Amino acid sequence: MLAEKYPEEVKQILGRYPPEQKRSAVMPLLFMAQREEGFVNKEAKHEIASMLDISETEVASIIGFYTLYHAKKEGKYRFQVCNDLPCALRGADKFLEGLCDKLGVQVGETTNDGFVTIETVMCLAACDKVPMFQTQSPNGIKYYENMTIDKTMELIEVLKMADKEVK
Amino acid sequence: MTKQVTLTIDGIQIDVPDETLVVDAAKKAGIDIPVFCYHPKMEPVGMCRMCLVEIGRPMINRSTGQPVLNEDGQPTMQFMPKPETACTNLVSEGMVVLTQSESAKEAQKDIIEFLLTSHPLDCPICDKGGECPLQNLTMEHGPGKSRFLFDGKFKMEKQIRLGELIVLDRERCIICARCVRFQEEVAGQAVLAIDDRGRGSEIISVSEPGFDSVFSGNTTDICPVGALTTTDFRFGARPWELLSAASICGQCPVGCNITFNTRREAKSAGKVVIKRVMPRQNEQVNETWICDKGRFAYHYAKSKERLSKPLLRKDDKLKTTSWSSATKLVAEKLGEAGKDTIVLASGRLSNEDLFNLKSLADGLGGKAVLYTEMGGGDLVTQIGVGQGTNFSDMGQGDAIFVIASDLYEEAPIWWLRVKQAADRGAKLIVANSRETKLDKFANFVVRYSNGDEVKTVQDLGGTGKIAQAFSKADNAIVLFGSDGLGLEGSTHLATACANLLEETGHIGKANNGLIGVWPKANDQGAWELGFHPEPDLAAILKGKAVYIVGADPANDNPALAKALKKAKFVVVQDLFRTATAELADVILPAQTYTERDGTFTSGERRAQRFYAAVPGLGESKPDYAITSEIAEKLNIQLEGTSSVLVFEKLAASVKDFAGLSYAKLAEVTEQWPIVGRGDLYYGGSTYENTQGLGVQLVSASDRGETVSIPKVRNDAGLRPKKDELLAVPITKLYDRGTTVAPTEFLTERIGDVTIALHPEAAKKLGVEAGKRVKISFEDVEGEAVVKIDETISAGVALVPRSMGLAIREPVVIKVQ
Ligand code: SF4
Ligand code: SF4
Ligand code: FES
Ligand code: FES
Repeated sequence: MLAEKYPEEVKQILGRYPPEQKRSAVMPLLFMAQREEGFVNKEAKHEIASMLDISETEVASIIGFYTLYHAKKEGKYRFQVCNDLPCALRGADKFLEGLCDKLGVQVGETTNDGFVTIETVMCLAACDKVPMFQTQSPNGIKYYENMTIDKTMELIEVLKMADKEVK
Repeated sequence: MTKQVTLTIDGIQIDVPDETLVVDAAKKAGIDIPVFCYHPKMEPVGMCRMCLVEIGRPMINRSTGQPVLNEDGQPTMQFMPKPETACTNLVSEGMVVLTQSESAKEAQKDIIEFLLTSHPLDCPICDKGGECPLQNLTMEHGPGKSRFLFDGKFKMEKQIRLGELIVLDRERCIICARCVRFQEEVAGQAVLAIDDRGRGSEIISVSEPGFDSVFSGNTTDICPVGALTTTDFRFGARPWELLSAASICGQCPVGCNITFNTRREAKSAGKVVIKRVMPRQNEQVNETWICDKGRFAYHYAKSKERLSKPLLRKDDKLKTTSWSSATKLVAEKLGEAGKDTIVLASGRLSNEDLFNLKSLADGLGGKAVLYTEMGGGDLVTQIGVGQGTNFSDMGQGDAIFVIASDLYEEAPIWWLRVKQAADRGAKLIVANSRETKLDKFANFVVRYSNGDEVKTVQDLGGTGKIAQAFSKADNAIVLFGSDGLGLEGSTHLATACANLLEETGHIGKANNGLIGVWPKANDQGAWELGFHPEPDLAAILKGKAVYIVGADPANDNPALAKALKKAKFVVVQDLFRTATAELADVILPAQTYTERDGTFTSGERRAQRFYAAVPGLGESKPDYAITSEIAEKLNIQLEGTSSVLVFEKLAASVKDFAGLSYAKLAEVTEQWPIVGRGDLYYGGSTYENTQGLGVQLVSASDRGETVSIPKVRNDAGLRPKKDELLAVPITKLYDRGTTVAPTEFLTERIGDVTIALHPEAAKKLGVEAGKRVKISFEDVEGEAVVKIDETISAGVALVPRSMGLAIREPVVIKVQ
């Protein structure tokens, strides 16, 4: 339960909006909820819906609309590659295909070790630095621009090492 | 303030209010602009782009504010460089709209081509085929050919159950969001939404149970493709094979106008059967909507359990007999009993049936008793709501007071319309002893303790904030029900409400007055025709000849079953062989209202006609005809050959019906929005009303007569004493009643019999949610599943009616 676990933070988030527009708090609350496990679980969906007086279906729909939110557990690091039109024109699709080949997965899938999930997203406002992607992980969101497949594979190694050290 | 503006659409000049959308203005001028996402009952969203047209506006000289004129002295027109959506643009003075120009037609053609790139075009197996806006508009505006590569077609899993009642075909969905917006804007229950985005978009519902709304069926009417279908009608028939019969829903006092679609089919042994129920437009009653109970519960009419032949008791067994010997015996016995005859009938019957029954009772000097557990109808008869009342006209400045009624469960379309009046600014006051779904939309929620109903109403006559909101309102309507109350309690409540309305002057004019939320569709009609309930029915049955029509007292109340055994003679006229029928000396098989003509009087006192949709079952006959057959043998002259003749007699003898006739009830006037077969792309597949809007009865208050309202005792209500558990009855939409339960696919929604307890009460009893407990009171014993309701008081338990526990009024119970 979010409200029990993080009473202060929830209060602070709700405090940002006038009571009759409290439904607007859905975005920060979802972001907070998914900090735990990398996705918004069923209980959190339910809790947020009742906290904000909206339906669970509406909450599910918001999670579905934004690539920022996730309804399922996937890899620890989500690599979100932009392949929107400007990026596609400058070779994002080719980069994506090569990366998937290297990792032995398809878009939407997770590597066997459960570390990397490859996803595609719409424009991340870095169209001049293609190929580009962002990672979403317990360490937050990070941008990587002007990437190559090799550089990306190196990055994955570095991230894995760091992960081990922490453990 | 709205003002009229003049504009030209395709060369036709029209005047409309300035708040009109271009698409509606065109419709009024008889010009069809194609739409998918736009619906005249919802806010425009401009999502589908189907309604693209060219719009020109006169160029205005900024310094003078006057139109700039060209050489011919005509205003210079300014057109946008691209076509615009007719559904999001308001009309303006001097506007010129071109729906058929080169550029407009090109745009419309392109949108269709785009839409079809991700549409399966499986029309031959699609239920919408034949009444599909996408099909129709494609024929009319589409390119005929696609430049799209077939392999790129959108593929998705089909046949997703959004719930047990509605199925989604994701490939067919064009993401117009009409269904989503209906649920959110109109129904106020956002249980549908769009998941994902772009080509991955799909409609979802994650509510428990799936698509949890009693208005869900309406989305299948407004869905412009075959993406949403009902489990009931899917693959049931093709629309063009169906015949239609105008009717009135018989499930609750709202009196929604409906159309029965029927077909002769091999599956039903060559019989004509009802295939589906559709809404029929009546903007003053149900607009273009109906609830799911009205749409789905009709299956009882074709139940195999129906009675088809008269039965007579011989050697203590019920054996089939002929009509003539059955009615002969009945006439003989009723004749013998004379003034010791009791006619016990329910509000399930039509006005014609009830009129004949009352006339028979009068002719014999006997008593006509209304079988009901809710009182106060004589007051509603005198006051009613003023002629011309229409919830759609209520809004800012008006007030609606709902007390002791869970409208969502008892009269869903009133719930919807009251909620919409509140959306428009009417002050909504909801008073109940527990939380109901209407609370969310109320300006004021009054939570009283059971037993304080009358006091709550009287407080509204005071000077408090809520009282002021009610008394100062331009118009005010009170809807009272029997939530938590029995016959006595609801009678007192009605009296208090009538007094309040009189004191505050809210009677005798449109959008003012009193509405009873009755358990049966035609309870109001029964009151109008002189039927009254009996406070102690069991006491008066002994030694009498009892003629029971459309009621099952033996099932509802063990005391009545006992009393009936002591009656001298019992004749039961019904659809089914009920528990009461088992006690009868004679059973007479009646037709369902779908098998004959007649009229009902709605809770708003609107007399409305229904027409026969299917032939009668077996030897069954209309109730009014059976009664007249019996009467004839007693030399009491009643009409029996046709319901129209009965109604003529009725209108000649009942004051408030004076001047009415079947012809009058069948009159129609123009309604907005335009719906119907040719316009289904616009208003949905709701049927156009061509067979009558009905007539609201004139009340004594309307005529300015003084109404005598009795004084009310405010100490009447029963309250739980210390350490007592007082069970009070509540109403569930889907219950085990004979007109619901035979519809098998509703079983899940009907669910188990429950008892709702306050957490404290549950703790004290050592029970928890989901547990089965034994319940006993008076002669009744039974089981129920515990539910927890924090909004009730600890001394009270809620028990739903017609779910197997014979609860009729507040009663002290034991729970184990
Ligand atoms: S299911 Fe029908 S009404 Fe709902 S968005 Fe799809 S096409 Fe529109
Ligand atoms: S609201 Fe009442 S009358 Fe209307 S469809 Fe539902 S049950 Fe029938
Ligand atoms: S299109 Fe990829 S960052 Fe803008
Ligand atoms: S955009 Fe106008 S009807 Fe859809």
